[in-house]
Formats: sequence, C-alpha cells, structure tokens
Amino acid sequence: MGFDQFVTDRLDRLLRYATAITCDKHLAQDIVQNVLLRAQSKWDRIGAMDAPYLYVKRMVTNDYLSWRHRKAAREIAVERGELARHVPSMADPADAHAEREAMRARIAVLPRKQRAALVLRFYEDCSDTEIAQVLGCTESTVRSQLSRALQTLRAHEIARSATLGVHS
Amino acid sequence: MNDLIRQAIAAEAEERVDSRTVLAELHKRKKRRKPLGLIVGVATLTAAAAAAAVIIPTAIKKTDAAPAAPPPPASPQNVLLIGIDDNNNTDALVFARFGGDGSVNAVSLPRDIQIGNDRINALFREDPKKLTTAVERLTATKVDHYAAIKMAEFGRIAEVVGGVEVCVVAATKDLETEAFFPSGRQTLTGDQALAFLRQRKGLEMGDFDRVKRHQAFLTGLAAKITKSNALPLAREISTTIKVDAGWDVLEFAQRFQGPVKILTATLPVSDPAVVTNGAGLVADPEQAKQFVEYQFAGKARPQDGCVR
Repeated sequence: MGFDQFVTDRLDRLLRYATAITCDKHLAQDIVQNVLLRAQSKWDRIGAMDAPYLYVKRMVTNDYLSWRHRKAAREIAVERGELARHVPSMADPADAHAEREAMRARIAVLPRKQRAALVLRFYEDCSDTEIAQVLGCTESTVRSQLSRALQTLRAHEIARSATLGVHS
Repeated sequence: MNDLIRQAIAAEAEERVDSRTVLAELHKRKKRRKPLGLIVGVATLTAAAAAAAVIIPTAIKKTDAAPAAPPPPASPQNVLLIGIDDNNNTDALVFARFGGDGSVNAVSLPRDIQIGNDRINALFREDPKKLTTAVERLTATKVDHYAAIKMAEFGRIAEVVGGVEVCVVAATKDLETEAFFPSGRQTLTGDQALAFLRQRKGLEMGDFDRVKRHQAFLTGLAAKITKSNALPLAREISTTIKVDAGWDVLEFAQRFQGPVKILTATLPVSDPAVVTNGAGLVADPEQAKQFVEYQFAGKARPQDGCVR
C-alpha cells in the first residue's frame, strides 16, 4: 500500500485513536502529523508490512507515552480532574449523556498507559496480543493494565452512585 | 459498565480535528521539508547510479577537465559515471541520462571496448577529457558531465544502507576473494558486496556478467536509499568522488521532484567471446548511437531479474 493511500484510508481513524488516548485533540493532531511525516520517510519498509496500520498506531502510542508529552498529559489530566469533580453534582443519573460524560472524565484521569490499553481494547477492539505489540509490553502486563484501569473506573462508579444515592 | 466505557471513549474520539486540516498541514510541511531531503536523497541516488552528485559542495574535489559547458537548467543531462579501481583504471562505465522528471536511463559500456589503440578503460587515467570525447564519438551523444568514484567505496556504501539485495542465478565462488554467493536473493554488504562487484573470473560471460551485476547492485542500492541514510551516505562518498569542474551539482540535484527510477541496459558490442582472448571489443558507432538514443528515450524495459 502506498503512503498516500494509507493516509486517505486511515487518517481519520488515527486521529480518533490519538484523540481518545490523549484526550486532547490538538495534542493528538500534533502527534499524528509528526508520526506520519516520520512514517513517510521509511514507508518502503512500513508499507511492505502485514499490518502497516498497527505499526503506525504503535508509533503514535509510543510518541504519546514518551517523556516528551508527560507534561502535556499531566496538564490535561488536571484539567479533566477538575471537570470530573463537577460533573457528578450537575448530572442527572438518569441522563445517559451525563453518565457518559462522567465516564469520559474518569477515563481521562487514568494513567496514560492504562488509558491506551483501554482504548485499544474498547475502541480499537484489539486482542491482548495486539495491544502488547502496540504498547511494546508482554500480554500479562496488558492484562494487569486493563484490570487496574477497570478497577479504578468501577470504584469511581460505585462511589458516584453512592453519592447520588443510586443503586446500580 | 463496559458499554459505558465504549460510549465514553467513542465520544472522546469524536472530538478529533478534521482530517482535512491535518492533510493540508502534512502537505505544507512535506513541501517545506522537500529541498534538503530531496537534494540529499537525489544527490545520493545519483551516486548510487555508480557515483555522481554529492550535496556538500565544499566536500567535492573538482578536477580540471570539464567536458562541456552546462546546458540550460531543467533540461535532461547526460552524465558519464565512472567506477575506478585503486589505480584509477576504469572498472565500470555507465552513461546515464538524468531526465527532468527524475528518471534515470543508463547504458553500461563494457570496459574492453577498443578505442583507437586503447581500451576505453584506460582513457580516464590518461585524461578524463579523452574518455568523454571517446564516448561522445562512439554514441554520437553529448556528455554533459562526468563523475568518478572508487569502486572500493561500494562496500562501505552497502553497509551504510544496511545491505543491498541482489539475486544470483546459480551459486558461484570467487576464487580470488573466496567470496561465495549462493543462488537466490541475498543481501550484500561490506567486502561481500565489493567482491560481488569485482568478480569477473569464474563467470560465464566475464566482464559482461560483471556489468549485469553492477546494474543489479545499483538498482538494489537505489531501492535502499531513504532520507535518513542519504546524508550519511553522501558523507561517505563525498571525500572520494570526483566530478568535472564545470558541474553545478546542487543545481543538478534540484531538478528532481520525486523518487528516482533507474533503467539499465548494456551497449551491444561484437562477439563477447573475444573478451577472454585479449582483443578489444568492437562497438559499431551507428548501432551504438541508435541504442543510446533508444535507451535515453526511456524505451527500454526494466531488468530486475537475477544475475550470474
């Protein structure tokens, strides 16, 4: 597959993925742009792979998880944390939209790697093996990252329901 | 809860910026990056075609004899690429037309062609001008510029690009260098690459097979050149390459707008069998002119098969 064709086919999906893991569309745009420029210069090799998309996704993920974006990620997390504190009090628990927004805010404050694993599982529908490839870790690490993320989200969910006096 | 997670992530992803914005930005940045990358990349590719242009103009050793005044910019240029051994004997001679569109159409000239009392491979050492004049007479085609590089450099060049893939028809062993080439596709680097380019004995058609090897190697090398290895590669060869004094290499490199495609062929000569018995090869000027004309017009078919 040629580079231009790859971009045509996958750019939107890559942007969605990057936005989901970074929780910041501008950071996501920067990362995707930089990664694609880098990918283009070695497209001979990437284009010949079985799964170029998986490889590029790995580049995007590594870029985000690298030290370069640690500060940006922390700022986003703080901002979203503020938001998360306000959402429950404003929300009507019966409102599906509010529920979703509350979950979004909670996902945004997860550690970066846990969130990446979560997005790969629940948005990109990746297997443990694929997630391990993208994150560059073992499958057992993938499983522990996912279970820790789910545990945190569940704890929040229970706390929130309790605060609002809802039985879930 | 899993459904809620799915919905939440999907909502987050939905926030992405418009991909058209990113496309426009990519396009802009690609353009901005182009000059250096392309000059480096193309200049190195040119070198790959047996040694031509190198970017870093200060590093280029200019020799005195310029064969001709440079033609107007952006017109095709005919460059004689000369691979020389450590004693300045010509090992490989490639006459190539660099088109305005970035295409390269190359004709290998067998080094044993007889020119007057000399073999063509002795002329460069005597005087580069003698060689360019002889090629012009033989092919009735103007030589705009020449570039010479030591064949010994190609071992290191292959190393810099991480090996060059070639395909060998049948396993051969070079008795001089002890190098062994199994049949099939293989990646050559360092001394092995050098041995591949130098071996003549033990090949059915001697220098003709070697010329084919040179062509296969150049095609394989061109395929391995990327923006990231172009600069190290250029540095590698810039100290030993020689071009004629009248050649503005930077201007030359700028003509290229995209990837370089190389087509190779070998100039037809009299019965190749005589190559081993000491007599020079005869190239018919009329036939040579037509062949070069045909090849330079880009009409030849690509050769990407296996070599001996």
